[in-house]
Amino acid sequence: MSKTLVVGISDMKLSTNPGDVIVTYSLGSCLGVTVYDPKARIGGMVHCLLPSAVAAREKARANPFMFVNTGVAMTVRRLVDLGADKSRLVFKAAGGANMRKDRIFDTGVRNFKALMKLLDHNNRRLEAKDVGGTIPRTLFLYLDTGRVVVRSLGKESDL
Amino acid sequence: MSRRDEILAACEKVVAMPTCVHKAASLLDGAEMDFARLARIIEYDPGLTANLLKVVNASSLTDGPMLTVRSALNALQSSEVLRFFISTGVAPYYVHVIAGYDQAPSQFLQHSTTVAIASRELARILMVDVPGYVYTAGLLSGIGKLLLGAYVQVDLREILRLVFDEGMAFDGAEEAVLGITHAELGSIVLERWGLPEPLTRVVRHHLRPDGYDGRDAVLDLVHVGNVLAKMIGLGLGADGLNYEVSSRVVEQLGITSQILDTVAANVVVELRSLWDLFLECADDFCNL
Repeated sequence: MSKTLVVGISDMKLSTNPGDVIVTYSLGSCLGVTVYDPKARIGGMVHCLLPSAVAAREKARANPFMFVNTGVAMTVRRLVDLGADKSRLVFKAAGGANMRKDRIFDTGVRNFKALMKLLDHNNRRLEAKDVGGTIPRTLFLYLDTGRVVVRSLGKESDL
Repeated sequence: MSRRDEILAACEKVVAMPTCVHKAASLLDGAEMDFARLARIIEYDPGLTANLLKVVNASSLTDGPMLTVRSALNALQSSEVLRFFISTGVAPYYVHVIAGYDQAPSQFLQHSTTVAIASRELARILMVDVPGYVYTAGLLSGIGKLLLGAYVQVDLREILRLVFDEGMAFDGAEEAVLGITHAELGSIVLERWGLPEPLTRVVRHHLRPDGYDGRDAVLDLVHVGNVLAKMIGLGLGADGLNYEVSSRVVEQLGITSQILDTVAANVVVELRSLWDLFLECADDFCNL
């Protein structure tokens, strides 16, 4: 049976059922990252609040999905455990918005930088992104094809 | 009649906010009053909080102004008085979504609660000595959205044009198109209800604290708490993150990225214990 799996803040969901859809609502400065193996047709989505667990190791141990560096890494590990091939994984990201004209509240920028640093470190690339700006976003991952859709202000677009 | 006058005239008819009143009322109808549960429902609901403070402050039950739910509940001695507050203070007025801001049921409640918790947590982390009503002020700060939503919906296209094409903040665009912001409208309605000035002041200026000619630590904390709630993303609507942050407040409070990260993480952890409440308030009887 097909299901819609909802990812909360500092949360991750994955699925091996091609009929499932994974969604996370209302990404502000948080970063939503989808990870998908197109051959095995399994994938996951993580909704990270903050860039790095360096300043809060205790929280990262309790919930690694709160942070981009630990959250994305843990998502990959779980998918590989389920049979995904690490070399096939496709990464896409959305979110990372920021408050208007502000530099201190730049969590969105830092979240995206943390993702790029992690991917660079592992010689992986980001396939597509819709990040930055001041708009909220909803992110969908369709497990049958790996299609990723971003919805914002009533409009949908494929990533 | 200007748009502003039209909006103010329409809001004169509003008696109270749509709330989780059915849930609270069913508790009151039980054989034994569960005060702790009732307090929990009221404390996380902007409409019920405003209504409780309205009734208590208009009564002769207290000597001074009541600024928090706990103090107001302590002032109400009997369940009969509470029944009165529930049955007479809440208008039969419900909305299913905050249409203009594109907020689904329960999203407004989630956002309000996040602002309240973030403001309080910020005070704790910064070790700012502030009155306990910082939570109430945060909870009520966005209440004007419930009233302005219908008008924003009509003119949303023009408001968003000003935001994205002209570079205006969302509240600036509201003012330009409608003649009033949701912050000002919220404060005006709460003033009419007789809520104390320290609360209405925060509601009025929470988006632009520099507009207040004075220093108010609660206002500053709620301003940043509101920004944090938007960044966390709970209850984000069409207005998104299109608001401006006061650099004066950031400097005065000594906000850093690390402090923001710590507060955001703590708030998200605390919110996990409230999902049951949000779900209760999203049911058919408690649409927001």
